[in-house]
Parts: sequence; structure tokens; C-alpha cells
Amino acid sequence: MDLLAHLEAYVAVTEERSFSRAADLLYVAQPVLSRRIKTLEQHLGGELFDRSRRQITSTDLGIQLLPHAKDVLSRVEHLRQVASAALASASQPVGVPPDCDPAGLARVIRAGAGRGVTISVRELSAEERADGIAAGSLAFALLRVPPESASHRVPLGLATAAPTSRRAVHLESLRPRRGAVAEQAPPILLTAEDGLGFAAERFDKAAARAGLAEGRVRRAASTATAVAETLAGHAMLLCAEPFARRHGLAWSPLADATLHRGYELASTGNRDVPAWLEPLLVAAVGAGAEPAGKAVDRDVEIPDARARLAARG
Amino acid sequence: MSSRRPAFVASTADLLPVAESIAEHWREVGATGHLLARNLDTGEHLGFDVDTPVPLASVAKVPLALVVLDGIAEGDLDPALAITIDPATKSLGPSGVAAFRYPATLAVGDLLHLTLTVSDNASADALFDLVGVEHVDRRLRDWGCTGIRIRHRMHRMYECAAGVAGDDFGLALELAIRDDAAGQHSIETLDPAHANVGSATALVELLQRCWLDEVSRPDATAELRRLMALQVFNQRLSSDLRADTVRVSGKTGTFLHLRHEIGVVTAESGDRVAIAALTRSARRASIAHDIDLAIGAAARSAFEALRS
Repeated sequence: MDLLAHLEAYVAVTEERSFSRAADLLYVAQPVLSRRIKTLEQHLGGELFDRSRRQITSTDLGIQLLPHAKDVLSRVEHLRQVASAALASASQPVGVPPDCDPAGLARVIRAGAGRGVTISVRELSAEERADGIAAGSLAFALLRVPPESASHRVPLGLATAAPTSRRAVHLESLRPRRGAVAEQAPPILLTAEDGLGFAAERFDKAAARAGLAEGRVRRAASTATAVAETLAGHAMLLCAEPFARRHGLAWSPLADATLHRGYELASTGNRDVPAWLEPLLVAAVGAGAEPAGKAVDRDVEIPDARARLAARG
Repeated sequence: MSSRRPAFVASTADLLPVAESIAEHWREVGATGHLLARNLDTGEHLGFDVDTPVPLASVAKVPLALVVLDGIAEGDLDPALAITIDPATKSLGPSGVAAFRYPATLAVGDLLHLTLTVSDNASADALFDLVGVEHVDRRLRDWGCTGIRIRHRMHRMYECAAGVAGDDFGLALELAIRDDAAGQHSIETLDPAHANVGSATALVELLQRCWLDEVSRPDATAELRRLMALQVFNQRLSSDLRADTVRVSGKTGTFLHLRHEIGVVTAESGDRVAIAALTRSARRASIAHDIDLAIGAAARSAFEALRS
């Protein structure tokens, strides 16, 4: 028995003092309404209406139960309202890297709105995005993964104020030239997205192996100051090409593609990723179809690995 | 790695800023270490942290060569004695007989040549086997070289590094750097208590006595000077000094994060300056061009400040 529908029928008949008007009000046929009242009376174990007179009236039981029936109905109504309000405002939090293209993110939000999904974009560090997916506080997130195994790759390069050739940059070419007039070697600034975790470790190692001095690679205090330092010509900024373009900086890709960014779109639990979301997010983060550089075989120049552990010259 | 201020030494007040600027430059490139430079004729000197015993790596080949040359000069050893080195049992290394693929037979005098000029580990260990590690250490005691200890063959360095890291150079380097920070030693040949060690003072003292014929016999020290002048490596002490008028007779030492060189700079003008530069760094790289150049810059600054 649908107790709520039956209570509704009972309240409507009581208030309208007429089976036919109550049936109209509830959009049901009058026999259906009559049956519901009968069923309810059987369920409660007593008559609710006195049908012996021309004008229908409530029995004592009917009068006594009315406020309680109304109370149940109003509580159910409240429950429904809360549910629909919650549904209307429930947004899908999506974790993205902090230096996405704002226009690209706007396309993600608009595409969601067009499909009745409220997307709320959260700029978070790589670590916070991974934590958010693990804890379920994010619906979706772009997770940082090694580029060689990633679904989406964002070529990283060095942005500078002075125009550069578009040719790929090799880290070892950034060493100050020996014998040249004292040359100022500008620091390489890493923003939060590239300055933490395995990717940063990898970059530091590559810089050391390329012969760059310890202090050359620095973590920028904030993205804004990193851009400012670079625009002023005092530094080089490790970033993706669209980011450099947005800030009017020249950009050349890093030749070593293992230092580029790799992303994987992850979702919480076993939630499906909507088909429309991934390409838009990938575009906003600046992922190209193909990596700009080629992967480098790191051990290519080591003829005898064992001899390296011996004392040398 | 500690960022404490080094203990500077300088024979005159005007030499102190030179030592300070060298230490600062080394710090900038991520190296810490020990330096002593001394004019062999005036005794003027400058440096920092000069008395700390440091694992010597291939710098140990200098006292080894001196002891072998001493044996030759004393008539106990025949420099023409032929020794065959078998590739199956030889010591590992990137140069000289250590890198050979077939048995090589060389005279003792030529093993000395390869040991000092190309830092050949196999030649050096053949000499260690000839005279004995303990004999080298005892001879240094006899001569009063108290700041230098010789305790193992060259190959022991490979064995200890490979023992903890397999044949993974990156891992061995990582361990060496971490051990430095933690002040412990998982690679025994980096532990001053078990390694071949020497302080900058003791090494400069040894060079000075070799150049002034104040140790062993003049025949031996003359041959040591001749061989050290033939060293093929010039990326460190001599990197910013070499000229037709300036010669560097040196011996480098490189093992994991250690980058050393000791040597004597002699100029046509007659100036002679002995230098010991012993460094370590946290750089995760086998080659650190800028640290090598910083050692070269230190040698040049020291030589120019100390020459008359």
C-alpha cells in the first residue's frame, strides 16, 4: 500500500468535504479515490468518514488523525524539497592544474551547464588532486603521471622575455660558456605544478646530469612572481606553450620529452567520465596531440657501467 | 652537508680574503671541501679546513708511487721487472690496463707511468700487490707523513660501492650523498676510519718534500715529479692555469661524489705552489663541469696570490 497516496486522499476528501472535488484536485478518478479511502480505513481499523448523510462528514477517528496525516505529508514534502534543492546545487568538483587556460576552463563549465551538470573547477596542486580523488572530495581530476605512460602529454619548455628560436632546448646548452666574458646564467624557475613530486625529482636529476649548477633550478614562490621575473628578463620559466603565449613570453620546447607533463583523467570511485568532459579538460590544460620532443635514452653514453663505480682519474 | 663557516688559514692577512672567496665560490657550485695552497719557496699559504682526513680516491696513487720509486732507488726493486695482468682478475677502471681486454705484460717502471698519468687502477693494484698495502703505510710512517693513511688497494673502492649498490652508479652516488648528510658510512671506502685518507696539510707537505727532495731519495722524487707532469687529466687544477709558461703536475682523484686533485704549479718565472683541493658535493651527477672549473679557479686564484 502506498501510504502517502492514501493519506493524501484522506486529507483531500476531509478538506473538500466531497469525493468528486477531491478526485479533481488529485487528478485521479473518483472510484480510485474511494478505493484508497476504503483501503486506508481497513489499514487503520476504523472508518474515517460518515457516508450515511447527504453531506460527507468526518468521523471522530477521522478528525483525530487529520493533523497527524497532514504532518506526515508536510514532512515528506519537505524531504522532497531538500532533495531537489540539493540536486540543483550539487556541483561536480573537478581538480585541474593551477595554470590552465581560463577560456578553456570556461568551455568546460559551459559544456557542463548545457548538459545540466554544474562543474566547479578547482585549481589544486598535483598532490592535492591525487588526494582529492583518493578521498572522494573531487569527482574528477587531472592526475600527473610520467609522460611516457600518459594518455595526455603537455610539452614543457622554457619561456623567456627575449625571443628565441623555436628549436628544442637541451639542458646542457644552458651551462655558462667557459672562456666567455662573465655571463650571467639566469635561473630556471619551476612553478608548483612542476616543482613537487616525481616530476621535480626527475627535472633536478636531469639538470644535475646536464652539468647545471645546483642553484640554477629554483622553486618560484608564486606563479605571478615567476612570470614577472621572466618578463623582466631575469629568469627562464618552465611552462607549457599556451601559458607562455598568454603572458607574452617566447617559448622553446625541452628536447627531452621525459621531462614533459603527463596527465591522466581520473574519477572518484567507479563513476564514469562523461565523454564530453575529457577532450575539453585536455584542451584547457594545453595537451598537444603529439609530444614536441623525442624521448632520450638515458644510458646511451655509458660504455662500462661497472667502471663508473671504480675510482677514476 | 654542513653550512658552517670553514676554518680558514692564511700566512698573511691579505691572503685571507682569497681563501674566503674560494670557499664562497665552491659553496655556490654546491661543493664543500678542503684547500691548502703553499708557496714552496716562501712558505706563504692559504686555505681552509686543512687538517680533516678525507678519503683520497686516486690521489692515493701518489704515495703508492713514491714508495715503489723509493724501493727502486734503494735497489730493492727492479724497474724493468715484468708483471703480467690478467683481465679476468684485474682491477676495474675506465683507463689504462684496467680497461684492457687481453693480458698485458708491463715493467714496474711503466706500471708507475700508467698509474700516475691515466690513473690506471689495474697498474696501481699490481704495484700494491708487489710491495704490499701495509708496506706503503709503514713507509709513510717512517717518513713522518702522519696525516696520510694507506689501508686498501684501489679495487676495494669498487668492491665497497658495488657491495651496497650492485652495479648501479646512481644508487651508489645517492648512498654516498645521503651518508654524508647523515654522518654515517655504508660504503666503507668513504669512511675516514677505514679508507685511504689524507688531509690537505699532509698532502701539501708530501708534495713539498717531493719537490724539495726532502723525502726518500732524489732519484725517486725526480721520477715522481716527471710522471706527475705527464698526467693527461686537465679538467681541474690546470683548467684555468695551463699555458706554455705555467705547468701543473698533478694527480686527480674521483670516486662517486668526491672530486680531488693535488699538484704543484710551476711557472717559467720560477714560482712553485703546491695545492691540495679535496671536494665533495651533493650533485647527482658523475660529471660536474662547474665544480671541476671551480677547483681550477681556486688553483688560479691561489697561485696568483701566492707567487712572488
